[in-house]
Amino acid sequence: MSETLISTKDLSVHYPLRGTLFGPKPVVRAIEKVSVDIQKGSFFGLVGESGSGKTTFGRALLRAAPITNGTATYSDGEVIYDLPSLNGEDLKEYRKRAQLIFQDPYAALSPRMTVRDIIAEPLEVMGLTSSREETDERVRTIAAKCRINLEHLRRFPHAFSGGQRQRISIARALVSEPQFIVADECVAALDVSIQADVLNLLKSIQMDMGLTFLFISHDLSVVAHTCDHVAVMYLGRLVETAPTRELFASPRHPYTKALLSAIPSLDPDDHGNAQKLEGEIPSPTNPPPGCKFQTRCPHAIDICRKEEPKLDKLGLQHDVACHRWQELAV
Amino acid sequence: MTEPLISVKDLTLRFRTDEGLITAVEDVSFDIAPGEILGLVGESGSGKSVTAKSLMLLNPDNAVYDPKSSITLNIDDKAIDVFSMTNPKDRLAIRGGAISMIFQEPMASFAPAITVGSQMVEQLLIHSNMNSAKAKEISIEMLARVGIPDPAQRFGQYAFEFSGGMRQRAMVAMALSTKPKLLIADEPTTALDVTIQAQVIDLMKDLVSEFHMAILFITHDLGVIAQTADKVAVMYLGKLIETGTVREVLRNPRHPYTQGLMNALPKLDDLDTPLIAIEGDIPSPLDRPSGCVFNTRCPVSLGVECETRVPVYTAGEGEHQVACLLAEKEEKGAQA
Amino acid sequence: MTDTASIDINVDQKSKEAYFTASQGQLIWSRFKKQKAAMVGAAILVWLILSGIFAGFLTPYDPTIAGRDKTYQNGSPEIPRFWDENGFSARPFIYSYERERSMKTNFRWVTTVNKDARRYVVFFPKGDKYKLFGMSFDRHVFGVDEGKIHLFGTDATGKDIFSRTFHSINTSLAVGTIGVLIAFVLALIIGGVSGYYGGWIDSILQMVTDAVRTIPAIPLFMAIAAFIPDTVSSEGRFFIISIILGFIGWPTLARRVRTHLLTERNQEYVLAAQLCGAPARHIIGRHLLPSFTSYIIVDLIISFPYMVLSETALSFIGLGLKEPVNSLGVMLQNVTKADVLLNYQWNFIPVIFFITLVLAFVFVGDGLRDAADPYADTKK
Repeated sequence: MSETLISTKDLSVHYPLRGTLFGPKPVVRAIEKVSVDIQKGSFFGLVGESGSGKTTFGRALLRAAPITNGTATYSDGEVIYDLPSLNGEDLKEYRKRAQLIFQDPYAALSPRMTVRDIIAEPLEVMGLTSSREETDERVRTIAAKCRINLEHLRRFPHAFSGGQRQRISIARALVSEPQFIVADECVAALDVSIQADVLNLLKSIQMDMGLTFLFISHDLSVVAHTCDHVAVMYLGRLVETAPTRELFASPRHPYTKALLSAIPSLDPDDHGNAQKLEGEIPSPTNPPPGCKFQTRCPHAIDICRKEEPKLDKLGLQHDVACHRWQELAV
Repeated sequence: MTEPLISVKDLTLRFRTDEGLITAVEDVSFDIAPGEILGLVGESGSGKSVTAKSLMLLNPDNAVYDPKSSITLNIDDKAIDVFSMTNPKDRLAIRGGAISMIFQEPMASFAPAITVGSQMVEQLLIHSNMNSAKAKEISIEMLARVGIPDPAQRFGQYAFEFSGGMRQRAMVAMALSTKPKLLIADEPTTALDVTIQAQVIDLMKDLVSEFHMAILFITHDLGVIAQTADKVAVMYLGKLIETGTVREVLRNPRHPYTQGLMNALPKLDDLDTPLIAIEGDIPSPLDRPSGCVFNTRCPVSLGVECETRVPVYTAGEGEHQVACLLAEKEEKGAQA
Repeated sequence: MTDTASIDINVDQKSKEAYFTASQGQLIWSRFKKQKAAMVGAAILVWLILSGIFAGFLTPYDPTIAGRDKTYQNGSPEIPRFWDENGFSARPFIYSYERERSMKTNFRWVTTVNKDARRYVVFFPKGDKYKLFGMSFDRHVFGVDEGKIHLFGTDATGKDIFSRTFHSINTSLAVGTIGVLIAFVLALIIGGVSGYYGGWIDSILQMVTDAVRTIPAIPLFMAIAAFIPDTVSSEGRFFIISIILGFIGWPTLARRVRTHLLTERNQEYVLAAQLCGAPARHIIGRHLLPSFTSYIIVDLIISFPYMVLSETALSFIGLGLKEPVNSLGVMLQNVTKADVLLNYQWNFIPVIFFITLVLAFVFVGDGLRDAADPYADTKK
């Protein structure tokens, strides 16, 4: 078993809402008691629909969203950081080791900087290089790795298509030689023919540099092809987590099953099994009592409406939060 | 063989821009029969939305249609030449009348300060001569039909009070309330979560069989096409490169681009095969390749020949047609 | 359907690379160049600004009472010519004149042109002293060998309207510049603080801004004009007017700065910089400021004619600058007299310059706004 790079225990992110004058201030529980272990050198997938809190979770691990409760530890063999209490110099040091790749390659690149300046910005801000020549050298190295034409470094982002921009975005995230990368829906905005290219690039870079990825996506088939381990989120809660193959071969949570069956098959005669979900994800400001999925679950019974299920271990690495997974498995 | 509802011939469309004249659509021809769903597949910049907007003459003013382009609508045994309609009143009969459109982002399609109900009623009043009480009745009926609970109450609400999936349903209800002959659905499920997407796809399929209308379904998602469309047209850089029935095209893709798309798509039932990306990037419209538009990325390009000669359509089994020099050669070989 | 003439769309590789490596400024310039009205406006504007700056050199006489022509009051324009019935001259010339006031002329000055006596135009003569960039000069572009030349005629006291007009442009632009600069600095500080910090600071500053916006301008001007003692010199008056204009003008600009900051600081590339640990100084200097400089420049240019207009309006109603200062407003005030309207119409020539100046600013501002806004051409 390899070592754990990121470990969270009951991690919660709550946002206060503008409340009434009297009474307690209402909060949005964007993330509620999420515990995961991300192995060093792994591709950890985080799946959920919009509003599931997956983006907030990724940002919390980068300290770009406030951690309300729980613990989160980063340990790469050289340093150990307690993420919620991190600040000052240590936070700066952590920023070198943990980076984010954005979803929208159009918004994430400043239109007023050349590609070279965009990629070099982290080096300059973090003071990782001492001379312009050294910066240029590192920019060129990483650009070549991300298959960016070196002659294009003096161009501005408006000269590039979505796929090329995403490669620039990746190069920028990697230039400080981080250990941990949060890739937030980083292929969702790309065309299919480009998407495969960027996924393959991420894979090869990960092998090459021994990186750890938190790969956030709404697309189960992309996650299935990229990740080693998958966690499924619903309304800020972790509902199921397992190694990729196990999860896709034998999903236990009714939500995971529904997600899988909702993916349209490429075969016109295969309409999937009739597991279609009714309704929509409830608002996080007003979540239902008990199991958060009970409003849409075809198997919900009384206990689901009253009690929130805990994560059950059903294998070495397979956890599921459902009252009835044992019955339903039969 | 029934008469097609809409017949597009040699549609060629260029945009006048600061950087010059940009070809967005070139020699696109297709027919849609009543009750048929045509899936138009293509990546961003392939010209699929522009093609759809041409049917309703909705493209911006800097669009230049080539004189050889023609779009014919066959409604009530009358053939209407869409390009010859210069009168705004005639155009209105098409826009929202014979043809309705639903968009990717339903929030942007509803005016924020007017209730969903009054927008539906307004549209009905424009396109028919019913009174407003009748229009309201029909609107509520349509809201109920698309599966919106409490339709009478929802009728008086604003779009922001609807959730994403509800908005898309309301959009469908609004588009269908005038009983159009053709519905253009431009990426109607792209902004939705998978579980909601499945619901909307089912809804649209039900409605087609109920109202017997035709749908032009635009998407970049081959899976969605497989589940909804009868026929498929694959577009790349403004050209239709492969057309045919869904089963013909998806089970036996003949164009290297269609094959590439299928290989690049992650499939759940096969996790072991690595994804094969199509090499290179989609060329900028300023950089349109000569010859076959796909030749810059084609893994089986014949070199100079593909760079200079524009492939013609080669017929395959059934309605299957493909524009590729390799297919042309195979065909010739088979005949010889 | 229009023609589809096969325009060559294969742009030359070199020009394409130039487009790809074009910075935002270059892109704006290339879009701006395509707008004819704006380019014409810009050319006129540059010409007017230069002639305002070099007014002392370009005009022959001192525009104040010191440079007046006692023998040619309310004189009509003298246009230099090359030939007349007496023959051609390689040097442009004007005629001499004789003036008379008597019972016969109803006690008005009447000028009779003497076509036989030519006065020749000379170039770079020595004349009245003027200051340029702090140094004193006495060379002018042109003059005449005898007496004085008045291209646009003279006013009631004999001051040269041509000289006054160009000096007026100078004054009005200077008032506008000082006003805009004051407004701009205030706007940048107040709007910047408001937008960057948000929260309750933003709320309070927005209330102040709104309060200032609700002050009606004319009564305020009247109050301040009454407050300025008569003993204040014309230069002092000039600065007070500029400062008032600046203090009135900032809220609109401040609002724009704030809105830009609020939208821009939520951009993903700003978050990307923050995630690198970039300090606020870096984010403001490298991302936020460059992101709206183009918009600010546009705003400044658009608000400039309003400053000039306000100065003119103030001076016109007698609350702003006064004689002997030359400003477009003062010049405009001269033409309100019925006598001028009926007998001395050349006093209206500065009005044409005033209109041209304001229009040039408006055209350039509009052109820049369209060029700086990439979405402008989609909605037409």
